[in-house]
Amino acid sequence: MSTKGEEDRVELLQGTLDLLILRTLLFGPEHGHAIAKAIERNSDDVLQVEQGSLYPALHRLIKRGWVAVQEGVSENNRKAKFYRLTARGRKQLRVETTKWDKLAGAIGRILRPAGEEGVP
Amino acid sequence: MNRPHPLDGFEDDIRDHIERETQENIDRGMAPDAARLAALRKFGDVAHVMEQTRDVWRWLWLEQLLQDLRYGLRFLRRNPRFAVVVALTMALGIGVNTAIFSVVNTVLLKPVTYPDAERLVWIGAYDAKIRRDFVWTDDFFDWRKQAHSFARMGAFGYQQAVIATPRGASQSTGVYVAGDFWRITGAQPGAGRLFGEEQDCVVLTWDFFQRAFAGDAAAIGQTAMMNGRPVRITGVLPKTFRFQFPMWWAAAHPDPVEVYLSVPRPGEGVAQSTQVVATLKPGVTAAQAGAELYSLEAHLIQARGGRDYGMTALHVDPLAEQLGGSSRRALLVLLAAGAFVLLIATVNVANLQLARATLRQKEVAIRAAVGAGRSRVLRQLLVESALQAVTGGAAGLLLARWAIFVLVRISPNAIPRLSETAIDARVLAFTLAVSLLAGVLFGAAPAMALRRCNLHDSLKSGMRNSAGLGGLRLRRALVGVELALAIVLLTGAGLMLKSYARMTAYPPGFEPEKIIVMKVRFVQREGEEPAQRATVRELVRRLERAPGTRAAGVSCWIFGRGLDFPFHVNAVSPGYLQALGMKLEKGRWLTEADTHGALLNESMARQTFGEVDPIGRQLSIPRPVTIVGVVASVKYSKLDAEAPPELFLGIGQAPDLYGVEIAARVTARPAAAIPLLRQLVADVDTSQRVYDVETLEQALAQSIAPRRFNLFLLGGFAAAAFLLAVVGIYGVTAYSVAERTREIGMRMAMGARRGQVAAMVVREALPVAMAGIGAGLAAAWGLARVVESLLYEVKGSDLQTFVLVALVLTFTTVAACLGPAVKAASVDPTVALRYE
Repeated sequence: MSTKGEEDRVELLQGTLDLLILRTLLFGPEHGHAIAKAIERNSDDVLQVEQGSLYPALHRLIKRGWVAVQEGVSENNRKAKFYRLTARGRKQLRVETTKWDKLAGAIGRILRPAGEEGVP
Repeated sequence: MNRPHPLDGFEDDIRDHIERETQENIDRGMAPDAARLAALRKFGDVAHVMEQTRDVWRWLWLEQLLQDLRYGLRFLRRNPRFAVVVALTMALGIGVNTAIFSVVNTVLLKPVTYPDAERLVWIGAYDAKIRRDFVWTDDFFDWRKQAHSFARMGAFGYQQAVIATPRGASQSTGVYVAGDFWRITGAQPGAGRLFGEEQDCVVLTWDFFQRAFAGDAAAIGQTAMMNGRPVRITGVLPKTFRFQFPMWWAAAHPDPVEVYLSVPRPGEGVAQSTQVVATLKPGVTAAQAGAELYSLEAHLIQARGGRDYGMTALHVDPLAEQLGGSSRRALLVLLAAGAFVLLIATVNVANLQLARATLRQKEVAIRAAVGAGRSRVLRQLLVESALQAVTGGAAGLLLARWAIFVLVRISPNAIPRLSETAIDARVLAFTLAVSLLAGVLFGAAPAMALRRCNLHDSLKSGMRNSAGLGGLRLRRALVGVELALAIVLLTGAGLMLKSYARMTAYPPGFEPEKIIVMKVRFVQREGEEPAQRATVRELVRRLERAPGTRAAGVSCWIFGRGLDFPFHVNAVSPGYLQALGMKLEKGRWLTEADTHGALLNESMARQTFGEVDPIGRQLSIPRPVTIVGVVASVKYSKLDAEAPPELFLGIGQAPDLYGVEIAARVTARPAAAIPLLRQLVADVDTSQRVYDVETLEQALAQSIAPRRFNLFLLGGFAAAAFLLAVVGIYGVTAYSVAERTREIGMRMAMGARRGQVAAMVVREALPVAMAGIGAGLAAAWGLARVVESLLYEVKGSDLQTFVLVALVLTFTTVAACLGPAVKAASVDPTVALRYE
């Protein structure tokens, strides 16, 4: 597994971690460590998540009813807490994704107006 | 049933996370220690993470509480009638408790504001006959010299004083003080100085100084005439000074004290008994001090040849206890009675809520089903009832304010410091706590009922809601509890009422409502005594011929000495005893000619001579007198105690005559006769001052003001409890009929007669009600001992009262069931079966 240099890493924007967690859970219930790993892996290690910060975010999501906790058994047969997307969470993910796309698009358009297309 | 909180096992979760990361690092080839360090670094500050995660949940309960409150308010808005009934019921229960607690708070809980208050003690020998404490005056002075347990010792007593002031002579309420009285009370002079051991000194209270001397500082240090004797005004007390007298003492002398006097001279009529307060030396307990006094007193009694003067029943108590006096016991009983009323109100509301709960089953089930969680729903119900209770509490507070106002107005002297009663922070805290507690109590009933019910069934069971038999049984049981509580209060009130009747049951011939009493004070100057006696003779002569009076005369209280028990000596004109309606038992009446004759009342005769015929015998008080007759004992100064031993002399034998009391039995209305009598006195000598004019009935009523206060309150509580219990039993029965309309219709369709249906309704309600009444009677019987000290000539287990109360309650219970029973009997089967 490759590890990028410190300078290549990007700190997460406020609130985006929630979105990433919801997105990660879309593929099925996971335990905390697996969620952290998945985020790192799927962003090719660009997004730097201090693993601990995952937990307050998770609990915020639980409190809002978007994520639920359940007891389960992990792949190595150990008891673990699994976090699962609820129906409301799934809906919320759709809303948030749309919002994010709009936001990203808008910011992209501002930073790279049509004339500068292609300039890095 | 409760879902685990998301934070449960949170620490394990984090540990698990770090272990996994460590394992991964090891798998990648790191050394275990390094692997763990790397994992921790990657995780970040564990403590900080935990803190942040917990923060997520921290304010949840508050958010939920606010939400519950919103739900609660919405529910109350939608059910205004229900809300009002609950609020009024709780207002009654909480108001009663707030009012009585404010009194307790002021009278019993607020500390005495004297220096070393915790070491202050009251010393007295209890006289069961007059129900008062006293100390033999001579013994006080001996104790003060010889006892080692006390740092300070002081005495005081009531002393009428007529003081000649620049504004004329004025009759004033005086208290003589002796020993370390000033140091015990921590009094500081507002002006001048407080007197020490010297005689013929007075200290004025601030109010009296302003009123009688217009606050003229020049008066301080001057000489004034008091009771015809020159005295020096040594100083004035500050406005804030207030001596807190024991309850019974204050009740007997309700007027505010105006002057404090030095110990009277022997000739001035030194009382043979006095009241004693003392400060214990540090480290000495009241019990140790008591033990020392017992042995000291034993020596004193031995030294005077075994005469104990009733000083054997000696006791030493903390002053704070004594100040409350008998009001302490009464107030605690009233506090308990108030709690009973609140409990009944709470049970009534719980019953209402239970009835309501049946209707709300579905709402609750739906809420639980959509994921609110059962515990959350139950909590919401509790918050809702707490909200209702606090609303009731706020209304109760208003009720309490009004009740305190009324109490202080109708009997300001029933309890010391009653007039200081106010709603302060402690009372507010009490009200809030009581409201919340009551809310939780009456909210718990429906919450439990809903908890037990099956959500699934509630949602399925269609349109009809039913409490089921279990719910009804619970509600009936609650009504039984109400009846039991109500009966305890009713018997208590009944016993007090009977005591009151006993106290005010006057012997035949004694008609206090037709007897006018008034006091007259003479402004006597030295050397005018013969003139004064002439005035009294003239007054007596005119009184005896006054139109519209059946009998009239004068009396003058003097202090008797020389016998081994306290007794009253009253110098009277013959008409005085006849005005009071006294009956001669033996011998003859006194005449003007008797210079050494005396009459005894029965109590005095029994105590002095036992079974021996006293006529013709001699007594030394210390002047020798010969007994010429015995009269029946009449309670004409205090209603709630035996008539004290009393000796009557001719008015001409009174040693001092600085004032007399007039009694006149009139044939006309007292209101019409009073001006005539006032005129009659003025005709004799315009300088005489007349005061305390009232009928004897009014004067006597004053003597039992504390008891009337207790009766009034307990009676009120009992009435409230009774009302609530009747409403409760009516409500449950009516509800059970309404709920079973269909069943009743079915029964009637199958041939049950109306009478049978009505009987069934009553029969079903009665067993629990009877059990409640039985339990209540048993409890009242057990508590009889507690109220006994508040009763007069009535036993706590008075059978008549118990039977009467049981009958009244049984009758009312049946009557309360009759309405619903009639309604059940008038159910039309065709309508009932079609319904739904």
